[in-house]
Amino acid sequence: MAVRKSFQEINDKIKRGEAVVLTAEEVAAMGQDHSPAEVAEKVDVVTTATFGPMCSSGMFINTGHADPPIRMERATLNGVPVFTGIAAVDLYIGATENHPDNPAYGGAHIIEDLISGRDVELNASAKGTDCYPRKSIRTTINRDNINEMMMFNPRNAYQNYPVAVNRSNRIKYTYMGSLLPRLGNANYSTSGELSPLINDPELRTIGMGTSIFLGGTTGYVSWYGTQFRTDAELNEYGVPVSNAATLAVIGDASRMSPGFIKAAYYEKYGVSMFVGIGIPIPVLDEELAARVMIRNEQITTSILDYGHPGHPEVGRTDYRTLMSGEIVLEGKKIKTASLSSLYKAREIAGILKKQLQEGSFLLTEPVMAFPRGKGLNSMDIRI
Amino acid sequence: MVLRFPSETVNEPITYTLIREHNVLINILNADISHGKEGQLLIEMAGREEDVNEAMVYLESRQVGISPVVKTILFNEAPCVHCGACVSVCFHGALEMDAQTRKLQFSPEKCVACELCIRACPLRLFELNFGVN
Ligand code: SF4
Ligand code: SF4
Repeated sequence: MAVRKSFQEINDKIKRGEAVVLTAEEVAAMGQDHSPAEVAEKVDVVTTATFGPMCSSGMFINTGHADPPIRMERATLNGVPVFTGIAAVDLYIGATENHPDNPAYGGAHIIEDLISGRDVELNASAKGTDCYPRKSIRTTINRDNINEMMMFNPRNAYQNYPVAVNRSNRIKYTYMGSLLPRLGNANYSTSGELSPLINDPELRTIGMGTSIFLGGTTGYVSWYGTQFRTDAELNEYGVPVSNAATLAVIGDASRMSPGFIKAAYYEKYGVSMFVGIGIPIPVLDEELAARVMIRNEQITTSILDYGHPGHPEVGRTDYRTLMSGEIVLEGKKIKTASLSSLYKAREIAGILKKQLQEGSFLLTEPVMAFPRGKGLNSMDIRI
Repeated sequence: MVLRFPSETVNEPITYTLIREHNVLINILNADISHGKEGQLLIEMAGREEDVNEAMVYLESRQVGISPVVKTILFNEAPCVHCGACVSVCFHGALEMDAQTRKLQFSPEKCVACELCIRACPLRLFELNFGVN
């Protein structure tokens, strides 16, 4: 009889410390000599993870009120501008916002400082109102003297991402790293068979409310991410061959760890932030078992030329080839490198596995599924 | 080159003498000198060959040690997240990902100090170091 498990049944097993949990890499290896039916029978949860630079990230903080209070209209933290267009002492630190005089320092560094418990200097100004008379303030804040630190990232955990190469004659400094001219190197940014949304490509088990590992603590999927699309071309294993689904995630940054949230600077591009995310996927049935068994060689991705406008597609490859350190394009052997860390992704998948085995992490059934059949608009320049 | 001053000569105006009396151009790149202690100066020296030779003789007469410089790359390993962004710009095999552990392996003996990794690392973990051979 076909295996069918519910979230509830798997959670009961987790609570009893009896759940069988494997990482996505382990289940991919198991899939070599087991059928989906056998995997569904034996495995309850598969842990997936990624640790890569994710620009669409940031953190809301509430600094607490001074006496007399201020309604901040302009504010900087260690000189980096932060968004004040919400209530009086609520701020949003955008990860990629940079210091006006130092392009290598920005919002992600402030976030890392606050997570690490270090002081940062706040400078703010306002016009002064009857209820918020103060016009300026200068002080230091840290994790322990402010109210909330809510990490809210509108777009993380891309389902697949194209490889970047450069066919022009000049080095290109991009968010995909330094791309050397004339196909000098190829950079990719996905953890392959360990990548969360590749193991559940139709998002059957991931939706609003899914509990995840986020930056070293438990966080949640809060919505589908910006630029979420489900109309990307699929390969024969049902995996999109370029960027497709994304997630918006939320979590308590005061409990996060600098080991899983790291500021980054890409030369002549700007600041970004490494975010560590782990997502457990319950093996509810054979269909999902077949999905989580996917191996690197079955995950196709497109290769884009960042040396020419519009980044035209110039080829396709798969993650097994990419991870071997070399791809062949136009008859040329090209060295590959990842921008996301497989080492850290494995560490996260391992932590999540242990938490599920010990019963300290439970699965959450999504309270809302994400849309199907969603495409993407590009900007229409009208003026 | 790196000039090493014994503590007795640290207070003498040696670079001044080099420039004024030996007609060489001196570009000071780094200095580590304090009063009464042994000191080091990282310099570039240019000029006519005979002037440079005489300048060397003068330096030796003042017991100043002269060593050619080697550029090396210093790697601050502890914060590394093993992303691999540095690997694809290193064409000398000094930076490689271990195929099994997926950890970055730095082999300083293969490094030619081409400096490409300095800008490629998003965490800025490489630094150029002028050392003495
Ligand atoms: S300086 Fe050049 S050779 Fe040395 S590690 Fe960096 S990239 Fe490799
Ligand atoms: S680019 Fe920097 S952080 Fe990434 S592997 Fe190299 S040294 Fe480590």
